[in-house]
Amino acid sequence: MIEALIAFASVVLQEGTAAAPAIPASAAAALGVGLAAFGAGYAERGIGAAAVGAIAEDDDMFGRGLIMTVLPETLVILALVVVFIV
Amino acid sequence: MSTATDNESPNYEYVTARVRSRRAVLFDDDDYRKLVRMAPGEIARFMEETEYEAEMDALGSRHSGVNLIEYALNRNLAKHFDDLLRWSEGTLYDYIVRYLRKFDAWNVKTVLRGLYSDADRESIEDDLIDAGEFSEEQLDALLAVDSIEGVVEELSSTIFGDALAPAYEDYEETGVLIPLENAVDRTFFETLLAGLPEEPNRATELYVEFLHAEIDFRNVRNALRLARTGADIEPSEYFIDGGRLFDEDDLRQLVGNRDQLVEHVRSSPYGDDLDAALDILEDADDLIQFEHALDAALLEYADKLSNRYPLSVCPVLSYVLAKEREVDNIRAIARGREAGLSEDEIEDELVIL
Repeated sequence: MIEALIAFASVVLQEGTAAAPAIPASAAAALGVGLAAFGAGYAERGIGAAAVGAIAEDDDMFGRGLIMTVLPETLVILALVVVFIV
Repeated sequence: MSTATDNESPNYEYVTARVRSRRAVLFDDDDYRKLVRMAPGEIARFMEETEYEAEMDALGSRHSGVNLIEYALNRNLAKHFDDLLRWSEGTLYDYIVRYLRKFDAWNVKTVLRGLYSDADRESIEDDLIDAGEFSEEQLDALLAVDSIEGVVEELSSTIFGDALAPAYEDYEETGVLIPLENAVDRTFFETLLAGLPEEPNRATELYVEFLHAEIDFRNVRNALRLARTGADIEPSEYFIDGGRLFDEDDLRQLVGNRDQLVEHVRSSPYGDDLDAALDILEDADDLIQFEHALDAALLEYADKLSNRYPLSVCPVLSYVLAKEREVDNIRAIARGREAGLSEDEIEDELVIL
């Protein structure tokens, strides 16, 4: 079953390379990371604003605010994994 | 201060974070319990160690005793509400400023009353709350005027201008302030809900829902007061348009029959929130207690909305309400202690969640 899948995949891949994909694999991975970073940035916009508000009221919130703000950054790290497996 | 800025996007995250943090440091039950047991001097000292330190220090040289507490409370309130306007942008600013115009209305009425009763400039100034849309220069200009006609002229370029001009003619004929004050109040309530976008988005809907609740609660209170006094006053004169609980005809019918009125409120969407308040009314037949319960219910409703929709104007308005309640509570305690009321009597006067 698995052998058949691999054989099938290699055939498909060969056909794919023959037709040359519109976006090469590495470029697609780079795009993926870029989009993930964009999403993370958008998420951080709101959290950052709220965190700065909280810190302005109470300095002790600095640590917690910082952690909350960079949490969406995990998105980019996960997306970066794609770069290594392509 | 700028007017509505449509091209800026509202910054709900920043403002709600700050507002929630400030909401958290308001006095709680324990603080009130402590305050109720203090003499006015002790209350002043207690306040110097809290939020109100800066205001108490600034005003301490000019005033003393309960007046000092009262002016410090007003000034602190103004500071916090000015902050709200300073932070907010876009439509959020627009919503907040509409709501805070009630302090503009208050200031205009204070100046009018002051002039009417020949109070000197300083004592009028002490009673102003600089929390609304008017800038300090505008308030100074208002204070500098020495006749009621001058005030009406000074305000002609503001939102109150259109309503005040005809009211002034009334005033000249009758010699009483009521037409002017009514004009100011009506302008405030009309501008609260006027001119909102035709197709409301979620944020506008929430703002409107909040205001409907406030207007409804106010109508309930007025209706019950009228029903209570049994005075032969046209209810529609006190009716504030825009709520969803009554329309004018409903109110006219219900004022005559209190049980029906209570039943009408109980079966309304606010029934659950007002259950406790209505029970108090039915058991004790005590209107003051009921009004306090109504205030508490409005606070609770505001909190519910602000928890359900964290990124909206609701947390801000709920903070405004809570802060006003705190100021009212402290003032009630200070005045109550000064007048020598017992602890229980003062506690009855407080609105605590």
